Amino acid sequence: MPGLLINDLLWEVLKQNLTTTEQQWLNEKSLAQPRELMTAFVAAPRILSKRVVDMDVAHSLEISKLLPGFSIEGWTVVRLGRVWLLTCLDASGKEEYTRYIDTLFDTAEMNELVALYSALPLLEYPEQWLFRATDAVRSNMGVVLDAIALHNPYPSRHFTDPAWNQLVLKVIFNDKPIHYIVGLDERANEPLARTLSDFAHERWAAGRKVAPQVWRLVSKFMDDALLKDMEHLFRSSQPYDRESAALACHHAHYEPAHQLLASHPDLEKAVQHGTLTWAQLEFTDLNTYV
Amino acid sequence: MCNHNELQQNPSHFEESDQVGTHRDMNWSEYQELIRGMRFFDPHIHMTSRTTDDYQAMADAGIVAIIEPAFWLGQPRTGLSSFKDYYSSLVGWERFRSSQFGIKHYCTIGLNSREANNEPLAERVMEILPLFLYKEGVVGVGEIGFDDQTAAEEKYYRAQLELAKEARLPVQVHTPHRDKKKGTERSMAIALEHGLDPSWVTIDHNNEETVKSVLDQGFYAAFTIYPFTKMGNERMVKVVEQYGPERIMVNSAADWGISDPLAIPKTAALMKMSGISDEAIRKVTYQNAIDAFGLSGQIDVADFENGVSVDQSQKFNGNTILRGGQQPRVAKDSLVIR
Repeated sequence: MPGLLINDLLWEVLKQNLTTTEQQWLNEKSLAQPRELMTAFVAAPRILSKRVVDMDVAHSLEISKLLPGFSIEGWTVVRLGRVWLLTCLDASGKEEYTRYIDTLFDTAEMNELVALYSALPLLEYPEQWLFRATDAVRSNMGVVLDAIALHNPYPSRHFTDPAWNQLVLKVIFNDKPIHYIVGLDERANEPLARTLSDFAHERWAAGRKVAPQVWRLVSKFMDDALLKDMEHLFRSSQPYDRESAALACHHAHYEPAHQLLASHPDLEKAVQHGTLTWAQLEFTDLNTYV
Repeated sequence: MCNHNELQQNPSHFEESDQVGTHRDMNWSEYQELIRGMRFFDPHIHMTSRTTDDYQAMADAGIVAIIEPAFWLGQPRTGLSSFKDYYSSLVGWERFRSSQFGIKHYCTIGLNSREANNEPLAERVMEILPLFLYKEGVVGVGEIGFDDQTAAEEKYYRAQLELAKEARLPVQVHTPHRDKKKGTERSMAIALEHGLDPSWVTIDHNNEETVKSVLDQGFYAAFTIYPFTKMGNERMVKVVEQYGPERIMVNSAADWGISDPLAIPKTAALMKMSGISDEAIRKVTYQNAIDAFGLSGQIDVADFENGVSVDQSQKFNGNTILRGGQQPRVAKDSLVIR
């Protein structure tokens, strides 16, 4: 059972970050009756430290091998402790288990929500959490949106296309790092590409910018209409606009896009020689509103 | 617009709205210099009822942290879910909203006295209170106490004192508008009867008539500066002059009534003008509240004493208040909206 393995692994990381008293408390609560475990989930910040988890590379690699896309990088000890507690909850009775998790969601404060949404890929009965997960995308609390949208493999595995597209749009809209979304390339789809083009036109009309990673998502669906966007980008004074157009054209399966790229030989060369890649346009401090 | 009758039907914190207190309102330009560099902690304010303009003005005036007590919303709730959602919003959305303006938000959770009178509902609210009392940033049980001074109010006041003891949380006691002196004495006597340490209990909405007994018995005495009603800030200055700054704290209790979220900075300025020492001002407008509610173990002054830090996750917080890298500022004088 993969659940068990990740549970063990998280405990190993926790042990490295907890004092003996903290370890004892957490271990005791993980073995307690569900009610007590749930109270411990809530009370965790009263006992555990709010320091950021210290983790060695081996553990980090092991985690991403077990659950690709999942990462606990930058988590606090409280958040990891909470998520680990959830993996200890007895899941043998589906109805009871769902009720426990639902209660935690319904009464959660902001940091508890963050822990709950981060834990979604580790919970049993994944289809049960679909509505909640889409609700998190509707959240206006930035950290809650981050918890579902970034470094979380749950949405790409379970979201329908419309829900997925909404998530991607919201992340773009809020200037969050799009490349932290798990499964971005695999779930690229044509309706999303069309919506993104409309989005870009609105932005340009308002005199605002568009995050370069947006064009990564349209590349596969390049056609005449999108080619016009590429032309617009190539005319931009902003270097990353031109670079993202070059990359989008290069990766497109559409001959006119390759011809357009050929009219910008410097950029074409950079893409062909691999000196310009999408990775270079992965920004974490975007502000496209100014 | 509220007419006088409506105000009487729906009184907020203070009912005697015809009684004009000794209060002085001030413009920002008048007192800005007097409080420059001061930091304030408002231990009683209902931000749910306030606007983003208030948050901005509060941050500008030096308010770095606040406590939002759970209270009556102006009309009675009809079901448990309304209570649950309200408590959730105090630890969730409102806390987040506050953080976007650089103000650290704490809250106290409790069943208010008015709604304690709906016993069937109150009973169910009591069941969910523990789910919220142990949450991060919950610094007390509050605001609880008496309104009408009915038997039901007493029952739930007592029950919540027991909850506070169990959770090792301070208590924030709302004192009644009518028959205030008796209600205040009764609130304190019951707290002592339940074995609470008075230094864990803040008695709120004091005036010249109640303060002596509250301090003599070892409780914290909070004063609400609510313009044109019960406690004016000029009278507050006199109270501090008479009783000194120990175990006294000032709050705004700003809510949906005619109240002032800047009551603390304005009162601090008045105290300064009256020659009260900076240290005494600091105690009644900042430190005493931290000492009283810090007993919860939930207040870490490092979180706000040098301003609320904007960490990496905050930086990426896109939301309906602040999109992308937008700063919490709107150029009010500018005609052009970008």
